[in-house]
Amino acid sequence: MSFIDSSSAEQTRRIGQRLGAGLRGGDVIGLGGELGAGKTCLVQGIARGLGVDPGLAVTSPTFTLVGEYPGRVCLRHADFYRVESYARLEDAGFDDLLDSDAVLVVEWPERFPQALPAERLDIRIALVSESERRLHVAGRGARATELARRFLEPCP
Amino acid sequence: MPLILGIESSCDDLAAAVVRDGREILSSVVQSQDAVHAPYGGVVPELASRDHVRYLHVTVERALVRAAVSLEELDGIGVTSGPGLVGSLLVGLSFAKALAYRTGKPLLAVHHIEGHLASARLERDPLALPFVGFVVSGGHTALYRVETLGRIELLGQTRDDAAGEAFDKVAKRMGLGYPGGREVDRAAQEGDPRAFAFPRPMLRERGLEMSFSGLKTAVALQVARAEEDAGGALPRRVRADIAASFQEAMVDVLVTKARRALAATGLERIALVGGLAANRRLRARMTQLEGELGVEVRFPPTALCTDNAAMIAAVADHMLREGRVASLELEAFSRVPLEARPEGWS
Repeated sequence: MSFIDSSSAEQTRRIGQRLGAGLRGGDVIGLGGELGAGKTCLVQGIARGLGVDPGLAVTSPTFTLVGEYPGRVCLRHADFYRVESYARLEDAGFDDLLDSDAVLVVEWPERFPQALPAERLDIRIALVSESERRLHVAGRGARATELARRFLEPCP
Repeated sequence: MPLILGIESSCDDLAAAVVRDGREILSSVVQSQDAVHAPYGGVVPELASRDHVRYLHVTVERALVRAAVSLEELDGIGVTSGPGLVGSLLVGLSFAKALAYRTGKPLLAVHHIEGHLASARLERDPLALPFVGFVVSGGHTALYRVETLGRIELLGQTRDDAAGEAFDKVAKRMGLGYPGGREVDRAAQEGDPRAFAFPRPMLRERGLEMSFSGLKTAVALQVARAEEDAGGALPRRVRADIAASFQEAMVDVLVTKARRALAATGLERIALVGGLAANRRLRARMTQLEGELGVEVRFPPTALCTDNAAMIAAVADHMLREGRVASLELEAFSRVPLEARPEGWS
């Protein structure tokens, strides 16, 4: 895995925005990182990059399981935090979210990696200090490898 | 004097109630799932809908029996159609639709948040309109101007986590139970609220928007540091101090935003609704505000703070009077602001 560093929440948002600008329907991102790492923050940037209406607040999907935001490409923001078992995820119809023209970002993917397609972009945000974060990235498959390469380019 | 059956199944509680005249609660049954959810430290979406299927008939029947009201006597059936977990919502909505079809009674589709705001009117002495409605729960944190039921204006809301969610996640991180609002409060009793200086997000900004993600992060970092210092699990004393300091920061933000909403609207009444409104520290600080500003602060009884169906029936009563009956084609929705309602919503 390679990484890119961010020194603030706003920079994390900009990194997300740049990533979002290059995404297209069907792209899947697994987004890991402990409580408070800034996962929702990165997704807010991705939404910006996808052209989601800035008036729509991208909030944590923990309670709602999935948030949907129309944009240039639709963004689906899911969260495995409260899901207890893989069987329950299947019962809830998680597959329907994958089979679409939307971009899917899944928080806490490590809980059920088997629910995600083999070809995907994996991002893991690590806490370095109060404001600094290290974003580790790995692309699985040709498309995701290209996304990862662009992701690692320095971001202002 | 319309008699309304209310059904609520948007998230972790399943409830049914019979309300007369939009105000008098004849029965209110809540199939509380706190015990079911506690082992997982939060609501598990599929668990919620599964349990709803199992208990819905019983819960509705119990509400009718306790109210001594038969199906035929009802004037309408109110049900939460969103927002919430779609699986959970569907269980209640399908049941209510079938019941409306079978009995020929009008179906009223209620917005969950509007239900919470209505709980301030479900009292012998209902809070006079208009008022500021402050929803503080696990899924929502928002300030509204409530002109009347059905005329509600969003003043400001959280940009990231809901306040109740921040309590839940911090509680889980520290190994406390669920729901976080109650468990953090309990742990905080022995702690010093000034032990740690956690950030108060968005206090400097003037608006009514809120944000709790940064505070949650600061607490998570503090917990990690304290665990490292202790070389293992969090010592009880430190845990109590972190809980108290976190709670104080959360309450500071909520009370400040409440104060600003009152100033911005010029209203003199405010109702705190939603699960977190049961938090004792928040209640104490809001009561201080009442004395200081000379405003009326209302907390609906704890039983009405958490999800319940009486509040749904209260809104449904109002909708019935205005002729806003829903179609049986109505679908559930997971997420929608009060202002923008989907098709089929009258």
